[in-house]
Amino acid sequence: MQQEEQQKIFQNILEQHKGILFKVARTYCRDEEDRQDLIQEIMIQIWQSLHKYNDKFQITTWLYRISLNVAISHYRKRKVRKDKFITLKENFTQISAADSSEKEQLLLQLERFISELKEMDKALVLLYLENKNYNEISEILGITVSNVSTKVGRIKEKLKRRFTQNK
Amino acid sequence: MEEVTLKELWKSYNQKVEENLVLNQKNASDISKMKVNSLLSSMKPMKVFALIVGAIWVIAIGSMIINLFVYAYHKVSLFFLYSAAIQVLLTLLAIGVYIYQLTLIHNVDIDEPILSTQEKLARLKTSTLWVTRLLFLQLPVWTTFYLPRSVFVNGNTMFLLFQGIITLTFSLVAIWLFLNIKYENRNKKWFRLIFNSKEWLPILKSMELLEQIDDYKENKKIISREHRRE
Repeated sequence: MQQEEQQKIFQNILEQHKGILFKVARTYCRDEEDRQDLIQEIMIQIWQSLHKYNDKFQITTWLYRISLNVAISHYRKRKVRKDKFITLKENFTQISAADSSEKEQLLLQLERFISELKEMDKALVLLYLENKNYNEISEILGITVSNVSTKVGRIKEKLKRRFTQNK
Repeated sequence: MEEVTLKELWKSYNQKVEENLVLNQKNASDISKMKVNSLLSSMKPMKVFALIVGAIWVIAIGSMIINLFVYAYHKVSLFFLYSAAIQVLLTLLAIGVYIYQLTLIHNVDIDEPILSTQEKLARLKTSTLWVTRLLFLQLPVWTTFYLPRSVFVNGNTMFLLFQGIITLTFSLVAIWLFLNIKYENRNKKWFRLIFNSKEWLPILKSMELLEQIDDYKENKKIISREHRRE
């Protein structure tokens, strides 16, 4: 693959699937600087693994594997970065504020409960909430479908309990 | 909170987030020009360096010891001979750990499934503990290698008693640490005290991760056992 062609594919992948990178970073890092650091690390790994991409897997499966693997092994290196790689539009906060506050509160609670989970469980719950089916989750995590189902069931129960306790 | 509500809540917010995400094209394009190491390749040079230094040490000291064993066994201090032999053997084992780590680095693929990649990464980090255990195991030989052959013939009783207590204490501490520096003891006070500094944090985190991985694997075993019963 030519360097230029590879760059184009890389940019297209990032443009189309930037949400995956952002959501993985948001799930694993609460701090904005850490998040940007993690996003950059994920982008580097995607770029370096691009030549190995095997199209027998969906591109999203491949991206989730890289993003989650990097996120789980990212031990707060804290190289403070000034560059922002993926950000939200400036007026996003205004759009959010206009939203129903109860929904916002519930979402904040959900994010907090997810942040309390262990690394592997965070990956599982993110994929579940992203509406991935059990087969895809099994391919991304490398566990059996029945194992996915059992684990998802347990985590859902855990989240439900946390919401009930918080009422 | 019901399952559908949970997913709907996530979906509605994420839709908005996705629509409002901006990719900084310039920064993204800069990534492709960066000359950076992959996630693990930065660890390689240090391991290779340790491996080479260790190998030179083992070859140099090892061949000297073999020579002494063969040609000057009755002339040199046996304390020195056996202490040095034990030290070289332990260094040889540490080299084995470095080879294992380099093999793991070579085998880790960041686009492989999470469980297998994370297990390799966590094993790579926690195997550093093996080097530490082997280092502790060398402690007693540093209290004996300098003793002359004649120490039991001409040495005074007080000196022998003092030397004996020191060597015995070092041996007991070394064996105890060798046997007890392990994953199961990570929450004990003495363990946290030894591995308190920042550079041990990734290793402690890896231990926690291995526990989670084991939990996922355990789940796998329980499920396959249940399937077999059905």
